[in-house]
Amino acid sequence: MIRLYHLTKTYGDLPALSDVSLHVAKGEFCYVTGPSGAGKTTLLRLIYGAIRPTAGKLLVGGVDVARLPRRRLPALRRNMGIVFQDFKLIPRRTVAENVGLALEVIGTPRELIQRRVAAVLGIVGLRGRGGEYPPTLSGGEQQRVAVARAIVNDPSIVLADEPTGNLDGAMAIEVMEILQAINLRGTTVLVATHDAALMKRFPYRVVRFEHGRKVSDG
Amino acid sequence: MKGTTAHILRRAARSLWENLYLNAVATGVIAAALLLMGVYLSVQYNVDRIVRTWNQDVHLSVYFKPDTPEDERFALRDRLAADPRVAAVRYVSEAEAATWLAEHVPDTAPVLAELGDDVLPASIEVTLAPPAADMDAAIASFAEEIRSPVVDSVDFGQQWTERFHAFLSLLKLLGAVLGTLILVAALFLVMNTVHLIVYNRRDELETERLVGATGAFIAVPFIVEGVVHGTLGGGLAAGGLWLVHRLVASRLQEAFGLALAGQLAFLPGSWLLLLSLAGVVLGVGAALVSVQRFLAQAP
Repeated sequence: MIRLYHLTKTYGDLPALSDVSLHVAKGEFCYVTGPSGAGKTTLLRLIYGAIRPTAGKLLVGGVDVARLPRRRLPALRRNMGIVFQDFKLIPRRTVAENVGLALEVIGTPRELIQRRVAAVLGIVGLRGRGGEYPPTLSGGEQQRVAVARAIVNDPSIVLADEPTGNLDGAMAIEVMEILQAINLRGTTVLVATHDAALMKRFPYRVVRFEHGRKVSDG
Repeated sequence: MKGTTAHILRRAARSLWENLYLNAVATGVIAAALLLMGVYLSVQYNVDRIVRTWNQDVHLSVYFKPDTPEDERFALRDRLAADPRVAAVRYVSEAEAATWLAEHVPDTAPVLAELGDDVLPASIEVTLAPPAADMDAAIASFAEEIRSPVVDSVDFGQQWTERFHAFLSLLKLLGAVLGTLILVAALFLVMNTVHLIVYNRRDELETERLVGATGAFIAVPFIVEGVVHGTLGGGLAAGGLWLVHRLVASRLQEAFGLALAGQLAFLPGSWLLLLSLAGVVLGVGAALVSVQRFLAQAP
């Protein structure tokens, strides 16, 4: 599903990722871990096309993302669910509108959006909270709204950047259980995290990065 | 399709409401630019109208040489009166010319009394029927035909006409340059205001982009906003123009009285429509440039 061949990304002279090769199979659950600055977020941003690699090849679902014209990026992203580290919720939109955004951009009818949003909010434990605004929610609740938005359109890949970073233990486990459930339905899940306890509790393949290099995989 | 249109309109309405102040500024800038354009067009339109009115009243003065016998003067008068291009002729003798000048410029009366009645030349005042086309050429050729050994000069204000036409050409050139500058300045101002609106919403637009929104999904509501800015700006400019017209027309008619009575007109509907269309083009153009600038930098 995701294939990296000798992928390198530099910012000026500073390497963020160096010569990384990786294959994440369809339906796999995979952690990307490492200390701050290891290149976890850079890897995810490369995968969803926010930045372009300096060298190497990156295939997502058979599509060469490095060579994808900008106008084709929306089509790539519509097949992905992304949980951003900073949530990227729109403060002036209600929870339901934030979650429904991923469906709105593909022209889903309003009634269907309402039904899907209600169902997904139920999954992340926010049933009946659709009319509230993100700034009135706790960090953990906002994180769950971000997860809900990432899964509302049944994507084939979910990318999550520190999805439990703002959550307490019980809430982090709930979010991981949601991601696990999505994965069990056949969705490829790639989680960037440095939470060792979580990786121990939900054991899956762990790819470790340090200073932009892949140092272990297994 | 119906759902998409409703969706676009809803998003545009929401953005207009949430950025009310900046949207009001964008509309105000368009209105101000169109008002300035409208004032220039009004001046142009009314000058053209007045010139057209003057063209209906084409007048020549044919001056005789001092020693021209009276029968030759009357012969020329009769010949001119019979010409189908002539609407009216009036013979003015030396004495009548002197009396007219003394009455209208009283300071000259003592000088005229001293010099005698025949100091001014006799003339025939000719009023031409309005020519069908190319008024200037028609008058010039008519004046040329009149010239004869008994005629000293034919005055049809050629020099004045040439100067006036040069002034009109300059006015048009100045208007075109000024209009272009106003439009460019307005486009720049509106573009920057719309850019501020886009900047204000950049987090939201970036998120939309990251969840798969196309450029069109992001741009079309801004285009609708541009249409609203332009239409409202056009309406405001038309209203402002009407007020300016009322104010200026009444002041000018007070100052010039009958000379301007009924000649100052408000711009016709088609011109106002064009002005509003210019506003829409301005609004949409500014929206397109600003959104394109955002999309080029968006992740």
